Formats: sequence, C-alpha cells, structure tokens
Amino acid sequence: MEDKDFVQGKKYVVKLKDKSVMEGVFVSETSIHVFLKLKSGYNAGFEKKNITEYKEVVDRKISRDKKVTKKYDSKKLHKILILHTGGTIASKVDYSTGAVTPRFSPEDLVGMYPELMDLASVESKLVSNIPSDDMNFHHYNMLGKSIVEALKDKKIKGIILTHGTDTLHYTSAALSFALECVPIPIVLVGSQRSSDRPSSDAALNLLSAAYFITNTKSSGVYICMHENMNDEKCVLLKGVNAKKMHSTRRDAFKSINTKPFATIDFNNKKIDYKDEASSTHGNFSFKPFNEKIRVGIIRSRPGLAPEELKPYEKFDGLVLEGTGLGHFPIGFIDKSTEHNKEILSFIKDFADKKVLCMTTQTIRGRVNLSVYSPGRALKEAGVLGHDLDIITETAYVKLAWLLSNYSRNEAKKLYHANLRGEISKRSEVEEYEL
Amino acid sequence: MNYEELGFKCGLEIHQQLSGKKLFCECPAIIRKDAPDFVFTRRLRASAGETGNVDLAALHEHRKGKVFEYQGYFDSSCLVEADDEPPHYVSMEALETALVMAKLLNMKLVDSIQFMRKTVIDGSNVSGFQRTALIGYDGFVEVKGRKINVDSLCLEEEAAQVVKRGKDKDTYNISRLGIPLLEIATAPSITSPEECRKVAGYIGMLLRSTGKVMRGIGSIRQDVNISIKGGARTEIKGFQDYKNIPKVVDYEIERQLKLIKEKKKVEESVRKAEPDHITSYLRPMPGADRMYPETDVETIIPGTVEIDVPITLENRKMKLVKEYGLSEDLAVLALKFESRNNYSFEKDFEKYASENLSPTAIADIILIKAPSIAKKEGKEISIFKIKDSFLEELSRGRIALSAANDVLKEFAVRGKVEFEKYDLLDESKIERIVKRIVSENKGAPRGLVMGKAMQELKGRANGKKVSDLVSKHLR
Repeated sequence: MEDKDFVQGKKYVVKLKDKSVMEGVFVSETSIHVFLKLKSGYNAGFEKKNITEYKEVVDRKISRDKKVTKKYDSKKLHKILILHTGGTIASKVDYSTGAVTPRFSPEDLVGMYPELMDLASVESKLVSNIPSDDMNFHHYNMLGKSIVEALKDKKIKGIILTHGTDTLHYTSAALSFALECVPIPIVLVGSQRSSDRPSSDAALNLLSAAYFITNTKSSGVYICMHENMNDEKCVLLKGVNAKKMHSTRRDAFKSINTKPFATIDFNNKKIDYKDEASSTHGNFSFKPFNEKIRVGIIRSRPGLAPEELKPYEKFDGLVLEGTGLGHFPIGFIDKSTEHNKEILSFIKDFADKKVLCMTTQTIRGRVNLSVYSPGRALKEAGVLGHDLDIITETAYVKLAWLLSNYSRNEAKKLYHANLRGEISKRSEVEEYEL
Repeated sequence: MNYEELGFKCGLEIHQQLSGKKLFCECPAIIRKDAPDFVFTRRLRASAGETGNVDLAALHEHRKGKVFEYQGYFDSSCLVEADDEPPHYVSMEALETALVMAKLLNMKLVDSIQFMRKTVIDGSNVSGFQRTALIGYDGFVEVKGRKINVDSLCLEEEAAQVVKRGKDKDTYNISRLGIPLLEIATAPSITSPEECRKVAGYIGMLLRSTGKVMRGIGSIRQDVNISIKGGARTEIKGFQDYKNIPKVVDYEIERQLKLIKEKKKVEESVRKAEPDHITSYLRPMPGADRMYPETDVETIIPGTVEIDVPITLENRKMKLVKEYGLSEDLAVLALKFESRNNYSFEKDFEKYASENLSPTAIADIILIKAPSIAKKEGKEISIFKIKDSFLEELSRGRIALSAANDVLKEFAVRGKVEFEKYDLLDESKIERIVKRIVSENKGAPRGLVMGKAMQELKGRANGKKVSDLVSKHLR
C-alpha cells in the first residue's frame, strides 16, 4: 500500500497480506506504519506494505472532543484570573507525534477542575503557549503587562499563572522583581506529571493556589507545588527562593536557604504560615526587563579554561557560580595552572566595566569571599555577592533586572540590598533539608 | 446441564506474572508482605481518554472520592512505581517472553508495539492507568482435538496488591506493581465449563514452558467471560485455581437462569470468584474509552528481536516417556525438578544410562530415593554434590543399584561417601561366600539359602549373579 489517505478519527477495515482483517479508528501514521485504535482500545501498528486493501466504515459511535463551556458564578465575591503559558499542567496527547505537548485551551483546564468554581469565579486567558525552556525576558515582560492589565479589575483577588516547571522559578523571580509592591497574590503553578493522567499533581497544585488566593491577606509572587510525595498538602514558596531540585518528583520545588512561606492543606481547608510576608507596602510599579540586556552564568569546575570565559566579553553582566564559598580556579601553582592568571585577569577586566557577582554551586549556604585568599582576590577584583545567600537563578534574574532599570553603579549597590526577600541575614539551623 | 441448548459461550483470559525484573524499571520482581519502608498517599481523578469520553468504569471509582495509601519497600519499588518518574526502557527479557508465547500460541505479531495506558482508577495503579501493549493476535491452541482461537496476547504491568479497603481510604502494597504480566484472551468459542478448564490448563503449561514465569499462589489468574441465551456477558475474575472453573461457571449460569426465570434483567458486569464458588459484583464492564497511548514509551518494532521458541513442557514430557521409558508420573516430577533446579535429565540420561543403569533408575534416585532418605534421616541431601560421581559408579557397574539407598544414607549423615566401601565383589569372592553358605545350610530350601546369601552380600553383588551361583552349588 502506498500513500493511502487515512483520515484521523475515522474508522477503517484493513485487509493484510496474510489475509487477516483488522478494524479500527485511524490514529496516526509514519512512513512505514499505520496505527489503528482497535475495538479493544489498543493501538496497533501495521506495516503499510502489508496492507492490501482498506475501506472506511461509518461508525456513529465515535465521539469527538466535547467542548467545555465556561460557567461563571457572579454571586461569588472573589474573582481569580488564570493566566496560561502552557507547560505540563496544560498538556494533551499529540496523536500525530505521540508526545505529550503543551497544547491546551484555557477552557479545557477550567473544565477539568470544576472544584475551582466552588472557590471563586474564574476567568482564564492564554498569554502564550510556549515550553518554559523557551521563555526569555520578552515573555517576562509580556506576563508583566498581562498582570498590570488585570490589576485594573479591582474584583480580581489574585492571579494563578500556569507554567512549565523547568524554568518556573526563573519566571517567579523575574515577576517578583518586575512587579514592585504588587498588591495581590500572584501564584505560579506547574505540574510534574501531565494533567492527562489520573495521578497528575496538577489538580491539587491548582486548587491549593486558588484556595490560598481566596483566603489570604498576603500579596507578592509565589510558587505553589506539592510539599511531598503525598497528594495532601502543597507548599507556597516565595518567588525568589525556590529551586527545582528534582527532575521528576511532584515535590521537586524546594525553598532554598529559607523556610517555605506557607503550607496549604486543600482537603482540610487550612493554611499554615511559616514565614512573614515580604513587605509589599508602597506604590505598585511595573519595572520591565530590558530585552537587550545580556547576562551569563559561568559555572566553575576543575580544569576551567580561560577560553570559556572569552565569549562573555560583550555581555552586560555575569553570574559566577563558584565552588564552595564562592571560588574559581585563579591560583598559579605550577606550569599546568599558568592559564589561571588569564581567568583572574578576565574577571578583573569584566568587573571594571560591567557587573559580576558570585553565587555558590553547593546550592545551599552563603557565599563568603573573606575566608580564603582566592575569595579575597575575587572580592578585590570587584566580584559582588560576598555574604549573600541568593540562589544562582535568582541572582541571574536580579542582575538582569537591575541592569535593565538602574545605572551600573546603582545596580552594584542594589545587588546587595534585600529587595524581595531574596537575601536572608540569618542562616537558620532548620533551613537545610527543608 | 446442556450447554449447547443454553447457548453457552465462554472465553478465557489468563494473566501470568513473569519473573526477573519489573517491566519499566530495574526493580526486582519480588512480592513482599512485611512492614513497609515508606508510605505515601494519592488521590486519582478520572480523565478523558483519546476519544474525549470518560470511561464508565473509571468514573465509577472516581465518584467514590477515595484516598489511596501506598506502601513500598526501598529495595523493590522506586519512583517509577510511585509515578514520580517516567518509565525506563521496557524489559527486553519480558518482551522476548511475550514474543515466544505469541509463537507458542500460533499468533500473528503486530508490526509495531505501542504501549497504551488503560485507565484504572480504583487505586490499584499509582499512575491511574495500567501500561499494556498488544503483542500478538489471531492465534489458536488445539486442545483434545478442538481448535480454540486465541484473540490476543498483551504484555502489561501487574497492579498493586490491596492491603485494606476502607470507607474513605484504600491501602495498597506496591511491591507487586509493575511486575510484567502476560494477558492471553481466547475467543468466546469454548463450549463447556470442562473445556474451559482444559484450555486453561493447556495454556498454563505453555506459559511454564517459557521458563520465565513466576510461581506460587496468585502468579497465574484466570478470568472467565461467559454468556447464555437471554443473560448478559459476565466476566468472572480472580480464579486462583483453574480446576475450580467448572463449578464456579455452573453456579453463575444458575444465577443468571434464576434471574431470567424471575423476568429480571441480567446486567453486564465484572464479578469476583469467591472461595465458595459463588460470584459477587465488582464493577461495570470497562470500555475501550479507557485506553490511550503511553507517550513516555517509544514504539517498538518486534521484527528486530530474535525469538527462540522452546519445546513445550507437554512435548518434553512425551519425550521423557517415549524415548527414555519414564512413567508419566515420573516425567511430570522430572520436569518440575528441572524448572526448579535449572537442570536437564536428558543430559544425564545420555551421559550415564547403560546396561547397569536405566534412565528410570537415574530419575528414581534423584526424584524419589534422595528426597525420601533425606526425610527419613532428617538431613538435607544436596544431590548435585554427589550426583555425577555416584551415577558414574552405577553406570560402570562398580556399585550395585541395590546399594543406592545405603550410599545416599551415608551421604546424608556424613556429607560425603567412600564409594570403595560399596564396590561389587569379584566373582571368585562371591562364589567363595556362596559356597560357604550352601555348605553351612545343607538341606535347607533354596529360598532360605538365597536369602542368607543376599543378606551377607547386600549391595555388593548383583542379585542375578548370586542367584545363579546358589543354583550352581545347590546342585
């Protein structure tokens, strides 16, 4: 059989070379195989060259996707806006490629989680539909603008932003900085297991976020994800302290160097605040990113070569992710370490003209550039970040945002200021392994 | 009952667990029941299938709004079972066994294997679905001269085991979850409950022939689909022993006949085979809407996998009987012993059978004599430690078969054997002893003389030889 025209969703009777007859709904095809969904529900692939005959059969029982119509309960006081950006929380099976892709209409999501209607009246809007890995400053600005627009509606109690989990914490940090003194809670929600499966974590994450919004006085940007492997409680993490710590688990997001802001027990309708809200008193202003600003992240490691730094010469800022307390290979020990001089001189030159800050790849803990001589040399060279416990992702976003909105000198000063709760002065004992 | 008049139709679905590792992760296939190392809870939601419909059976469970508690063990369940990690590569061992089984069932193979998600939200699968793939279709088996069509062979994941059911919470043990499971479904062309039992037995034998199945209670389960004129299709699940099939099916027919007589409607349903042979309601029949592709697993082209089809246990049994002269009972014992010990009787028959030692004698020593002596002495006999040298001695005629029990006894007690002690005496020595006994018992009947001679020469002389010599000297 060559180039037969099967139509997706239609039912066919197919005769094979070995005389067997198969009947099923056409699902997809590759250059070699035709995939039919058989009456038993199984998809089976048949080689095209083995198909001798095929015929469409009319089957009235094949049902199409049912459109879900939105329902608003105007009597409810609170209104929640759900802004969609795709991601696993809004995923559907793509039958042409067989992959799970972010490709959901906002109505579908609301239709899938009818419990939302019991909490508030829900409005939903698609901002963009891109995998979170493709996000950049342009998209952060786009989201910021959508939120600014939404704030004009005074009935909106809070905003849920659905987002792919891979860069969820970058976006939460970006919005934390860009939306200064935001007067309502903005909660980013993702899911680690796609919403097309019964065991998806999407439902609890979304419903917990909605419950938080309708029952809190706090404002600011947060992430709402599972607290642990149980579908029981969610944690609410401050947008600037969260990191994706696991590639697959539903409790992947952890608060780094600080306690989570709160836990939400949706099933028992309880919020347990663990930390004080970051201060949002003041006038709201939207300070977007300069989409032309370029900031890089360089990760130190044994054997780092100076050539690796060179391409960053023209960048506006750099985050150095050092080892331990915040170290880079800048010592000249023997012949084999001679080139380390070039690394130090690159850092010096860059710091003279641009902005450079240090974080640590240990993930947890504080940078200290005073303990060892290499640290002191880096500090002397003009590297920022001494005594700070900002995580790398937030440092990257903060630096880009500062360079977007302030002069170089102001940015350098403000990098050390605690603007959104991204820095904690005390390293508390219990924060490790939270 | 006249099953033909009743319009009796019956199909069989067999689930068989495979040994080795789990289907989609590296966890070993070990079912545990002791105190768990960790526990987590989940809630499942019904979701729309490929065609946009929510499956009726799935919805039935969702309405219960239950919490599911899962108990796991660090060594035999990982994040894949917890549905907090995507599946790894499919187990090639399990896939090969499925392909072998498809061949044994005379099936056609699909050109491309696509794993599906079968929505199951009763909590027995943490993910809310069971991964399952169609491997073969359109096969048949021949049982007692009748050809029974086998519609499908699927390779799927075993579900978690119920620990406790409660009003708001069900508890499951996930050590069983993910063990490879073969699902074999026959066409509804079985014409009597007795035939159903025979087909179940035959397919069970084929499964064991692969050498890759798990053993023990629950490792194989039979579901029976039956219908009669005026009744409704009923799936009876959970036969632990296929020998009970005729009894349970007869009870179900009687239940349906009673409903028909009372002019009540017989609903299509899934029923559970209870220990007392009656059936109880489980849930409505699941539909095709609960199937959608498992997108985390790439499709597999089976043409690239080499299939080595084994000789079936039935054929191996017949070979032992016809070629080596074993009795059927001994042959059955031999095959069981082989599968437990990864051993081949045929090899030893070829190596050691001689005019002094028949294959039956070899099998008898290993299967009957050794275990019975071990039991009698209250000791263990590791037969593989002694087998080769012992069979060699017997085969060459250096030790008489009648000494076998004594040799085994010494081995059981001391853990070693001095074979020289049991060496047959040479003819002149035997003759000297026989001569002496004859002269000591002048006038005694032949039987008495023979008895005394055998007692003295016990295990050290061939009986026939002694008998010949006794006759010679009595004359």
